[in-house]
Amino acid sequence: MSSAVPGTPARIVLVGNPNVGKSVLFNALTGAYTTVSNYPGTSVEVSRGHCTIGPTRFEVLDTPGMYSLLPITEEERVARKILLTEDQHLVVHVVDARNLDRMLPMTLQLVEAGLPVILVVNIMDEAERHGMQIDTGLLQEKLGIPVIAAATARKRGLDEIRSAITGYDRGRRALFGYAADLESDIEQVGGTLVGNYPLAPRAVALLLLQKDEEVEQMVREREGERYAAVAEAVKTVIFERRADLHLRISMERKRVCRGLLDGVIRQEEGRRPPFAERLSGWMVNPWTGVPILLLALYLGLYKFVGGFGAGTVVDFLEGTLFERYINPWFIDQAGHLIPWYWLRELIVGEYGVFTLGVRYAVALVLPIVGTFFLAFSLIEDTGYFPRLALLVDRIFKKIGLSGRAVIPMVLGFGCDTMATMVTRTLETVRERVIATVLLALAIPCSAQLGVILGLFSGVPGSLAVWSVCIALVFLLIGFLAARVLPGESPMFYMELPPLRLPQLRNVLIKTFSRMQAYFLEIFPLFIIASVLLWAGKMTGVLDRLVSLLSPVMDTLGLPREAAAAFIFGFFRRDFGAAGLYDLQTNGLLDAAQLAVAGVTLTLFVPCIAQFLMMKKERGWKTSIGIFVFVSLLAFATGWALNQFLLMTGLLR
Amino acid sequence: MNCGFCGRKLPGKIEQKPCGACPGGCRKIHCPWCGYANPAPPKLWRKRPGGDDKKQED
Repeated sequence: MSSAVPGTPARIVLVGNPNVGKSVLFNALTGAYTTVSNYPGTSVEVSRGHCTIGPTRFEVLDTPGMYSLLPITEEERVARKILLTEDQHLVVHVVDARNLDRMLPMTLQLVEAGLPVILVVNIMDEAERHGMQIDTGLLQEKLGIPVIAAATARKRGLDEIRSAITGYDRGRRALFGYAADLESDIEQVGGTLVGNYPLAPRAVALLLLQKDEEVEQMVREREGERYAAVAEAVKTVIFERRADLHLRISMERKRVCRGLLDGVIRQEEGRRPPFAERLSGWMVNPWTGVPILLLALYLGLYKFVGGFGAGTVVDFLEGTLFERYINPWFIDQAGHLIPWYWLRELIVGEYGVFTLGVRYAVALVLPIVGTFFLAFSLIEDTGYFPRLALLVDRIFKKIGLSGRAVIPMVLGFGCDTMATMVTRTLETVRERVIATVLLALAIPCSAQLGVILGLFSGVPGSLAVWSVCIALVFLLIGFLAARVLPGESPMFYMELPPLRLPQLRNVLIKTFSRMQAYFLEIFPLFIIASVLLWAGKMTGVLDRLVSLLSPVMDTLGLPREAAAAFIFGFFRRDFGAAGLYDLQTNGLLDAAQLAVAGVTLTLFVPCIAQFLMMKKERGWKTSIGIFVFVSLLAFATGWALNQFLLMTGLLR
Repeated sequence: MNCGFCGRKLPGKIEQKPCGACPGGCRKIHCPWCGYANPAPPKLWRKRPGGDDKKQED
């Protein structure tokens, strides 16, 4: 048995993703006497215990969950540090049998690193319940390491794990080949490594190509003066490939794993894969995925947010509670207690802090946004969004983006400002600029979308025109932007998490948290906006602005009063949409005008917060360019739509 | 808590630079793997007995 110091027990390190049963195995091996302590210099806990198998005593370490040998989080960094620095006799990689294809790439990395690995395919009982049959013998043959089927929570496979630990043959080692170009890159870098490493040179070379800073530091220390040659080799490969090597290596590993699992996983005859798995397949297939998407939008947004939130809840809060009881009482009290006209106007006037700011925030926008966040959190908790990313990947490639851009786009439906910041996670500057333009232009934020759905809930024709128009502008501008900004669309690859039933607790916490954050953000802004509008009314500036915008309203075929909603929109898009809502409830807009106003306001300038974020992320020049472009395009589209509706008589 | 997009378990403590857009501080947890902005659970929820601040999962 190998051991760091003679006389000390050999060390077994348990590694694997979170929630795969590592701790259950750790407890089963070590029993009650274990110690839990922070790993030196970190706040990450590592458990240590001892066990005796046959005549040999072992120390067992339970590491924090890790997804890959390339660490992202502190937990992963600690887990890898243990693998690199602690002299281990064996590494036991625990994986979930139900997600073997997602977890096997890490086994590959461990074997590739030259570590002595045993693979424990855990939670087999659950996998078998779903009709999955896993041929661990065949997998063992292909991997060249011991593979044990287990269900550690039911004590199944523990004896086999113990036998594999004592009888481990360190002489056996399998080699997995990647594509020729990648192999040549690995050789080019690996050939420059001369020092002594805890990982195989092949693994070190791969981590260097993925720009792993800790490994870079280790190589710098161990190579000394020779480091310059290593750095030059890495630089040359990265320059020659001009691609995201991390993504390339992940995809190659995935390809090797597909080959390894060929014939290993079978579905029991006569038993179909679980419904969740079949549904997941339908969601990413364009023929079935698009109808599922439309159904989710119809039920989640149109019926629930537009019908229930903006209809039933707003009718009660705004129409009954505020209009009949709260507002009249406040106006009456103000009439008695406040002798000054200007102050009465400020509090309960047309643009009063209470009658406009509080009413919009509490009675109009919050219930709509609340139902939107509830629907959003519910869909999010099922694991639908990554499937949506795969579904739209092909279309997004046409507009210079990839499925990865679904993240800022989906987040944009919550808040465009935060989504603009998230564009920094996209791979290229080109992608970031295109995504920023599309977010500023055609992705309405939660409140705006909710109020617009509420506006259109009684006029489905206007909603159809609005939806088609926004989708066309999104695709057309994206397509043109992809032509104006040259470059290739990046590759997109992601592992799909399992589809699951949403958990009520998760959905409620996420909804509450989002609503709280939203309300804290908008409430003061709505109050400030009412004060500014009041000041505008008292000084006559607002009237002049409305007069200035009147010709624009005429061109769009909208009533003069709609100008106020657009002025509101300068403060916040949702404030503007709420203004349109008021106009519609007062019967000032017909179906065609509603569609034109809705389209123009959706495409209209980004709110102040989003503009400031654009400036922060893209700089003054680009953000002012986007601002001017978006404003002109919004009115041009509104004008064109009005002309189209006039000519065709649609919605008239 | 798992990321709402990639499904990976979010670490207990993440070092992140907030954008500063939200008054009262950032209430999002950006997933270190995919960048998705997850809503941070309210403070009261995290601090309750057995809350997310105290819970240890394998």
